[in-house]
Amino acid sequence: MTGRRVEMAALVLVSVAVVAAPLFGSRLIVYYFTITALYASVVIALNLLLGLAGQVSFAQTTFMAIGGYGTALMTVRLGLDPWLSILLAMLLAALAAFVIGRPLLRLRGHYLSMATFALALGTYSFVTAAMALTNGGIGISGIPPLEIADISFAEPRMFYILSWIFCALVLAGYILLAESHIGRAWRALATGQDIAATLGIDVPGFKLMAFVLAAVVASVSGSLYVEFTSFVGPDLYDINIILSLFFMLFIGGRGSTIGPIIGAGIVVIVPQLMSGLERYQNLIFFIILLLLLLIRPAGLFGRMRESVPLAALLPGWLRVSREGRSA
Amino acid sequence: MSAVSELKLDGVTKRFGGIIAVSDVSIALPVGAVNGLIGPNGAGKSTLINLVSGFWRPDAGRITFGDRDLTRLEPSAIARLGISRTFQQAAPLTGLSVIENVMVGLHTRYRAGLGSVLLRSPTMRREARRNAEAARALLEQFGLTADADSEASDLPFGKLRFLEFARAAAMEPRVLLLDEPAAGLNRVETDRLAVLIRNLRNQGITVLLVDHDVPFVFGLCDRVVVMNFGSVIAAGKPDDVYGDPAVREAYLGGKEQEAAA
Repeated sequence: MTGRRVEMAALVLVSVAVVAAPLFGSRLIVYYFTITALYASVVIALNLLLGLAGQVSFAQTTFMAIGGYGTALMTVRLGLDPWLSILLAMLLAALAAFVIGRPLLRLRGHYLSMATFALALGTYSFVTAAMALTNGGIGISGIPPLEIADISFAEPRMFYILSWIFCALVLAGYILLAESHIGRAWRALATGQDIAATLGIDVPGFKLMAFVLAAVVASVSGSLYVEFTSFVGPDLYDINIILSLFFMLFIGGRGSTIGPIIGAGIVVIVPQLMSGLERYQNLIFFIILLLLLLIRPAGLFGRMRESVPLAALLPGWLRVSREGRSA
Repeated sequence: MSAVSELKLDGVTKRFGGIIAVSDVSIALPVGAVNGLIGPNGAGKSTLINLVSGFWRPDAGRITFGDRDLTRLEPSAIARLGISRTFQQAAPLTGLSVIENVMVGLHTRYRAGLGSVLLRSPTMRREARRNAEAARALLEQFGLTADADSEASDLPFGKLRFLEFARAAAMEPRVLLLDEPAAGLNRVETDRLAVLIRNLRNQGITVLLVDHDVPFVFGLCDRVVVMNFGSVIAAGKPDDVYGDPAVREAYLGGKEQEAAA
């Protein structure tokens, strides 16, 4: 219950920050908060898949790429309406997730992670290599902005609102599902597939549902991202991003509600605060990550049960033991 | 209950490599009876439960439930037909609370799909409320009310067993397969278990009970099947089976010699 209260407090703080940022913050803050919202949405979806259903999938960037390149190609090359391109790319991602997920999710153990990791790396290679389709490393620019009536989302503050509305919807969906019998079925199959099956849960079916939902969210987020920057390129789906999504989730806390947003915020924003440190920026960032994960293996908002006392990080001879020395 | 469905095994055989774990077993479980299945270690009892619940496929033979052929069905499909099981090692869903464990047992009673959950439709909310109440009633029945919000894996062993029965009973099964339910329980708990099993039978549930505890099985069961080396060597009323020379030779005799040694 206390864990829940901490999460509620964090949710309130995040909401305040999200409302305050465009009012008082600089353009840069608005920019990074927007990026945070878009990654946070993908990570909430990953949390549904990994935190609830226990499926380790690296394929989120693949579905982001379907959204990103789908929107870019459909708008720039085919001249389709950006909103329509988001919808069509989303349907394509759902179909792809269904076709890929069906055989993969029947397997147990690490097959899913290995196969989706290959898929994610393959996606990056493909969009880099398929010059004719994707312009390779140059990418596709000049993606037309989203508009509704008189409102143009080319204006960063408008896009900021859009991105956070999307993130809030994804979070609401996550909470509704997590608290329902569907969420319980996911958590049940994550801890014991056999037990879940004997209770009448269609294990492959529920895994597939989580996989497709995660893909749909990733695709829409991928589309919004390229709409925001009006550019798509392979770097948006490279190994850094593949792994960053996991950092975001593990820092925030698997299975927690607010964790993915906080995790995304930390991974997106903290490196920017160290921009003066230039070449040590990554090193320092990874040391912070490592420490966070060592001190709180369950993540900032994960279950306390898994946390490790800070003293455990010290070598044994440095530790001051309250119980005194024991063999 | 309109259609009376009987669980029937017909010539069921299962091999693991060169070993025949279950050999040409044909049994029918009378509806609404407690059927005991006993036999020495390695007699094929647990294999039989795994075959009926769909975890393994028989190499030969057929398993039917009423007019349904279970032989090729997935475990979850078999469960949805009303055949529920427990595991030899009490198996809580870790990370879920006690009441959540039971609510997962109620899974097949939920009709709401993805859409109605995301839109919080009134039917979905009514259904969720109704099932939460059903879960609380089950906790009451199995003496777990005080533990409702504890983490399931924090329960002591005895309560864990009862949680597993509550979860299986939540499915309102027509057949309940119990794999060594009394293992690790003390006398008091075993007696309580016997009462619960009789209650289930009185509700018309067919029970198949695998156990080592011979007095427990013979005291509780309406019918006993004895297996040895994968084959059924005796079946019938407890008294008749108890007196069967083949049974005494293969199993009970062996036990006595063991005890004497």
